[in-house]
Amino acid sequence: MQRLAFVIALIIALPLAISGQEGEGPSLTPVTWERLLNAADEPENWLMYNGTLDSQRFSGLDQIHNRNVGNLELKWAYQIPEIDRAETVPLVVDGVMFVTEAPSNVVALDATTGRQYWRYEHELPDDLRICCGRNNRGVAILGETLYMSTLDAKLAAIDARSGNLVWVKEVAPYESGYSKTAAPLIVKDQVVTGIAGGEFGIRGFLDSYDATTGDLNWRTNTIPGPDEPGNQTWAGESWRTGGSPTWITGSYDPDLDLVYWGTGNPGPDWNGDVRLGDNLYSDSALALNGVTGNLEWYFQFTPHDIHDWDAIQVPILADIRYGGEMRKVMMWANRNAFYYTLDRETGEFLVGKPYARQTWAERLDENGRPIRVPNMEPSPEGTLVSPTIGGGTNWWSPAFSPRTGLFYVNAFDGEQLFFIRDEDYVEGEQYTGGGGENAGPIDNYHSAIRAIDPATGDVRWEYPIAPRSTSGLLTTAGDLVFGGTVDGYFFAVDAVSGQELWHVAVGARVHSAPLSYSVNGEQFVTIAAGNVVFTFGLGD
Amino acid sequence: MRKALLIGLVQTALVAAMVVTGGTTAPASAQENPYDTTVDRTMGQRIFRAQCGRCHGRDAKGNDETGAPDLTSGGLEANTDQALFGVIREGIPNTAMIGISPRASDQTVWQIVSYINALNLDPSDYDLPGDVNRGRQVFSGKGNCANCHMVEGEGGRLGPDLSTVGSRLDPDQLRIALTDPNEEVAPRWWTMRITRADGSVLEGLRMNEDTFTVRIMDADENLWNFLKSEIRSSERIKTSTMPTADGLTAGEMDDLIAYVFSLRRES
Repeated sequence: MQRLAFVIALIIALPLAISGQEGEGPSLTPVTWERLLNAADEPENWLMYNGTLDSQRFSGLDQIHNRNVGNLELKWAYQIPEIDRAETVPLVVDGVMFVTEAPSNVVALDATTGRQYWRYEHELPDDLRICCGRNNRGVAILGETLYMSTLDAKLAAIDARSGNLVWVKEVAPYESGYSKTAAPLIVKDQVVTGIAGGEFGIRGFLDSYDATTGDLNWRTNTIPGPDEPGNQTWAGESWRTGGSPTWITGSYDPDLDLVYWGTGNPGPDWNGDVRLGDNLYSDSALALNGVTGNLEWYFQFTPHDIHDWDAIQVPILADIRYGGEMRKVMMWANRNAFYYTLDRETGEFLVGKPYARQTWAERLDENGRPIRVPNMEPSPEGTLVSPTIGGGTNWWSPAFSPRTGLFYVNAFDGEQLFFIRDEDYVEGEQYTGGGGENAGPIDNYHSAIRAIDPATGDVRWEYPIAPRSTSGLLTTAGDLVFGGTVDGYFFAVDAVSGQELWHVAVGARVHSAPLSYSVNGEQFVTIAAGNVVFTFGLGD
Repeated sequence: MRKALLIGLVQTALVAAMVVTGGTTAPASAQENPYDTTVDRTMGQRIFRAQCGRCHGRDAKGNDETGAPDLTSGGLEANTDQALFGVIREGIPNTAMIGISPRASDQTVWQIVSYINALNLDPSDYDLPGDVNRGRQVFSGKGNCANCHMVEGEGGRLGPDLSTVGSRLDPDQLRIALTDPNEEVAPRWWTMRITRADGSVLEGLRMNEDTFTVRIMDADENLWNFLKSEIRSSERIKTSTMPTADGLTAGEMDDLIAYVFSLRRES
C-alpha cells in the first residue's frame, strides 16, 4: 500500500517537476558565476537586470520572429498587490520568475503560469526620503540567493527557494536622503550596487559587498574628497553635498575586469552657482577595477550640469567595426540628448552626435566635451531649453542587436523651462536649487524609438510614438525590438527596418523594460505595465 | 476662507480623514489655517517648490515622469485645511506621497496648505464689474455658449465642461479665452482631419490619440475610432473651434465673465 502511494505520488509529482524548465528536473538550479558569465549561452533564462553582463538586452531566442510576432497572445498576468507603478525587470531562472514590487518586495512565480511560490516583504520605516516614487527595478542572483536594494538604503539577501531573509545590510542612512532602487550587478563573488538620493545633497558612491557575508569589499566615492584628484572641480565645500548618485545598474567586461557605471546629477540640481567647476565625477561613465573598485578611467558627458541630466543610463558593451578595425566600445545615449561611442578600454571618445532635439550645446569638441550655447542656464524667470529635465532619454534601458549592429533607444524631442533659486542644504531635505515647468502640452512634441549606427552616431530609422515612451527596450534574434508607451501599449517593430509589426493595449503606462525567456521550448515575452506583469507567447 | 481643496490625489479624502483622526502631529480638532497671509502663501510656494516640486512639478501641475498628480485642477477633495495639513504632514500610506520631513514645523506645513489653496482661485479676491445672473442669460442666450459647453450636466459637448472653470482660470484668463480662443488650445480640443482609405474626409474634436489609433467626436457629437493603419492620413488642426465673442457688448462680456468665474465646486 505504501509502495502504491509512493508510485502515485511520483506520477503526480513528475510532470510538476519538469514543467518549470527546459529539460527534466526541478525548477531553479543554482546560478553560478560561470552561468552569469555565459548568460548569452542560455537564452531560455534572463539572469540579470539587462540580460547579460554587457547589458545588450539582446535575447538569443528566435521562436518569436518578425514574421510571426503578430500571433502573440496573452499567456498570463500577475497583479502586483501594492498599488504603485511597476518599474521591475523580472529575472527568470529555470522556470522561476522573480519580480520586484513597490515599495521593496520580491515575489517568486512559476514562469509558465504566473502563480506564486513565495513573497518577501521588506519592512520599511514610515519617514523615507525619496524623490521620485516608491520604486524597485529588480534583483540580482548568485547561487541560490537574490540581492535586492531597498528604499531605506539597505541591501537584502534573500533565499531564492524560500523567500527567507539571509542577511540585510545598511548601505547608507536613509534619514540623510539616501535610498536604493536599482538592481545590483553580480561581479564574480561580489554584489556591486549603487545609491540614489541626488536630490537630497548626498555624496554618491558605488559599493561592492561579499555575496556570502554581506561585508563591504570596497566603496568608491563618485565625488573625490580633499587631497584626491578632482576635488578641485568643486567650489569650496560643495563636494560634500554634490550628489552624483549611481541609481541604475551598470555593466561588466570580464576580459578587462572593468565595472562600468553611470553617475547622476551634481547637487543641487539646477543651481550650479554654489558648486562652480566641472563637478567630477557627476554625469559620467566610470570604469572601475573589478577587484579593488579603483577608478581606471572616466568620461564626463555634461561637465557642470545645471539641468539635471544624470548619466544614469545603462552602458552597453559590444565589439564593433570602427575606423577599419574592431574596437571594444561602450554605447551611450545620454540624457543630455547626445549619443556617444567610447573605447571601453581607455574611455577614448570616438563618436558623439545628437540623437534627440537639443538647444544647449553647439557641438562636442574632439574630446567629446560639449561647447555650450550661451544663456542656457536656469534663471529666475525660466529659460527654455531642450531636452527636458527628463532628457533626450532617461534611465530606460536601451538595447543593441549584434545581428543588425544597431543601438536602439527611446528618444524624446521635448523642451522645458528651467528655473533657479537659492536654497540652503539641510540634511535629509530635498536640495535641488530650482526646477522645471512644461512649456506646452506633451502632444506638441515628438517621441520615437531610434536605431543608431554606433560607428557613426547616425540615426538609421525611427519609429514615431504618440504621445511618448518611458519604457526600456528589448531586441531579439528574431529581429524584433519590443517597447512600450506611456498610454499603455506594448509593441514590436522590425529591428532592421523599424516597421511596426504588433501591438497590444496593456491598459497602463509601461515604465519598465521587456525581457524574453523560454520554458519547455516555448518562448515568452514579459512586460510590466501599470501594476501588472504580462507574459505573452505565440498562439497555438 | 476657501474650504474646498482640489488636490487631485486618489483617495485623498479618506486618507486625510484617517490622518487627521489618527495622526500625531496634526491638531486634534478642526482648525482653520493660522498662517494664511500673502507672505505665508509666498513662503509656502517657496517650500513647495523645494520639497514638493520634484514630484508635483514646480508649478504644481503634476509630473508625467513621476506620476504625481496636478494639484491645480480636478480630482477628489480634501475638504478642509486640516485634512490637507494631514496629508502633507503624514503622506498617504502605501503610495508615493510621502510626508514632509519630520523636522518641518507646523507653520511650514500650514504655509504649504495656504499656497495650495491659493492655486484654486478665491472669488472673494476679485471685485468684478459684471453681474452673474445677467451673465448666465448671455451664456445660454446671445452668447450661444451652451450650444457647445456643458454646465452642471446641461449644454453641449463640443467644448470643455465649464462647471468648475472658475476654480482654474481667473477673470483675466477667462477674458483671453473668450476674445482669443486660439491663445492656448489644449490637445483635447484640437481638430483631427481624418482621410479614410477611400479618400473621404471626416473632421472632429480630438478625444484621444496614440501611436496606433485616434478617436474623435464629429460635429453631430458622434464618436469615431480609427486605426491609423487603416486610414490614409490624420492631420492635427491646432486652432480652436470656438468663435470669438465679438458680438457681445463690453457690458455683456463683463457679465459673462462674472458668471463663468462663479462656476466652481463649493464645499
